[in-house]
Amino acid sequence: METSQGNRAAAFSRRTIVRLAGGLLAAPAVLRGAQAGGKPTVVNSIRSLTNPYHATWNRGGAAFAKSVGARYVTLVTEGNSEKGVSDIKAILEKTGGNCVINVDPNDSPDARPIVEACKGAGAFVVTQWNKPADLHPWDFNPNYVAHISFSGVPYGKQMAETLIAAIGGKGGIVALGGIESNVPAIERKKGLDQALAANPGVKLLDFQVANWQAEQAHDKVAAWLTQFGDDIKGIWAANDDMALAAVEALRADGRAGKVPVTGIDGTKLACEAIMKGEMAGTVAWDPYWQGGMGLSIGYHAKTGAFDPAKEPKDHREFYGRATIITAGNAKQYYADNFAKEEVLDWNDIWGRVTGQIQYG
Amino acid sequence: MRARAGAAASLGRLRVIDWAPLLVLVLLCGIIAAINPRFLLFGNFVRIAQAAMIPLVLAIGETFIILMGSIDLSIEGVVALGAVLTSLLVKNGANAHDLGVAGVGLVVLTGGLVGLVNGVVHVRLRIPSFMVTLGTWFIAAGIANAALGGIAVRINDPIVRGLVLQRVLGFPWGVWLALGTLALGWFIQDHTRPGRYLYALGGGEELAALSGIPAARVRILAFTLAGAFYALGGVLSGAQLGLGNAQVGQGRLFTAITAVVVGGTALSGGEGGVLQTLVGVLIVTVLANGMVLMGVSPSIQTAVQGLMIIVAVSLSIDRKRLRIVK
Repeated sequence: METSQGNRAAAFSRRTIVRLAGGLLAAPAVLRGAQAGGKPTVVNSIRSLTNPYHATWNRGGAAFAKSVGARYVTLVTEGNSEKGVSDIKAILEKTGGNCVINVDPNDSPDARPIVEACKGAGAFVVTQWNKPADLHPWDFNPNYVAHISFSGVPYGKQMAETLIAAIGGKGGIVALGGIESNVPAIERKKGLDQALAANPGVKLLDFQVANWQAEQAHDKVAAWLTQFGDDIKGIWAANDDMALAAVEALRADGRAGKVPVTGIDGTKLACEAIMKGEMAGTVAWDPYWQGGMGLSIGYHAKTGAFDPAKEPKDHREFYGRATIITAGNAKQYYADNFAKEEVLDWNDIWGRVTGQIQYG
Repeated sequence: MRARAGAAASLGRLRVIDWAPLLVLVLLCGIIAAINPRFLLFGNFVRIAQAAMIPLVLAIGETFIILMGSIDLSIEGVVALGAVLTSLLVKNGANAHDLGVAGVGLVVLTGGLVGLVNGVVHVRLRIPSFMVTLGTWFIAAGIANAALGGIAVRINDPIVRGLVLQRVLGFPWGVWLALGTLALGWFIQDHTRPGRYLYALGGGEELAALSGIPAARVRILAFTLAGAFYALGGVLSGAQLGLGNAQVGQGRLFTAITAVVVGGTALSGGEGGVLQTLVGVLIVTVLANGMVLMGVSPSIQTAVQGLMIIVAVSLSIDRKRLRIVK
């Protein structure tokens, strides 16, 4: 979801790409699905493969599928809700419902038709990030197995606290936000505001929206350097792409490494920047886990390892656990996650449950 | 800032309309400086120049196309492809290639190749430039995406990074490169035959063809040049962000076309030029910089940009010569 939020800004392009490329991608995927025999086909439906976040998600899905010897299919919405839903209906048709779907719905309202279609076909589905607040897994037993999300508030706050600690608890900071109407952007900003309220010695000099995009972030930071100069002690960014661009804007000014920057997403380059001392922290959602474990939870339900209807609500709608990466653990995190393919216990399906999702 | 088509008619007369974009720019700078005097710091001129260098290189390419009365939408795809190829050919964090300047040359050639495809398909298959370049936009973006599979690659080449990090006379190399590109664009436009033909094609292609201008060849050449310029913009983007990925370039198309039109080059073709485009790029860049300096709320920045476009264009349109507006 993270980097892909930026894709909305280019909705025109994405949507059109879909029309051109969508059919090409989906057709063979659907055909492959048709050949699946007894074992359920496992399907990831994600926004795109152009960003590291979903590319990693996809690798996690492939790794899980390999671990159980199931056929694996990736569906790509490219930011098009209609395509997202209709591709899922197509795969349900082709597999006769003998499949497990792990979906990051393109938009919240899409979750309902997807869940209803899966229920109708007898397939098992796990949703992540986006769904309407009044759509609950327990209303679609047993097919709607679980919904997984991550609250942006605590992580936005933790990054702000990391930044504040890095500047010694006082001074001016500036902040870069994502697309204003995006839920993750709103949540992360809320976390930043909470941390600022608790640290009166730190002043938010300015907040700018850079729409998750590196280039916009770069130019905003350059303008800030004119306006605030040395008063900028730290930079908070709502995602890693913007944080890395901020580092580059600082570098052009000879200040990279002198002004701490935090991001969110846990991308490889951000992790490297933390090891180099140019960033102070980031949050790793671990899309590899999301891509694989979402399928594993659905697969365990589908194959009868547990009955979703008997699970507590905090297993049906839960916040996952993200990893805070700072200078202290960046090296280790890099070695475990980027230097080699991540190793996860796909049977530890509830290992990262951190509480039931709160709405409103 | 002399409008070219119909130049004979207005020769010797100072037309305010031709100077409108420059006046808008000066006025804009005055307002921003009045609200925040730090706008006038030398350091800020350097930052504005840095922010303007990429849009300038892209908009020069687009100017050639718009002068002919066509449009080129492939900018973002070629920029992404250029940045990705740069990150794979020069010293980088993903493979052992270290082609340096030769790598940059290859990237620019590739951009020219995409432009050549644009031109040839557009002219030979008689497909409107809008559709052809829309297609190549996605093809180029698709190749960029396929090459990296969604990841970002760090660019470590000292020469490429030097475009942004090394300064001469206070400005980074990239800014001088962009100015060199402007000089080249101006030379092609004003002092070569194909450059002069661009205006003739934009002014009226049938007439131009009848008077012996090789319309097809000029069109193909213009698209090829534009593609090379976009790829150079991709190199600069990669240099600026220190990385290549398929998302580099997002939003650049809109800025480039806006800059060309705001500068005073008519979308209908035949009027304007690369110097006007420089003014247009500066208007767009100064406005973005100024909105941060003036403390304009992020929520209304987009709206202010839109308003500015309409104001700038409405000031610079010569309504006497427009009989029909589509």
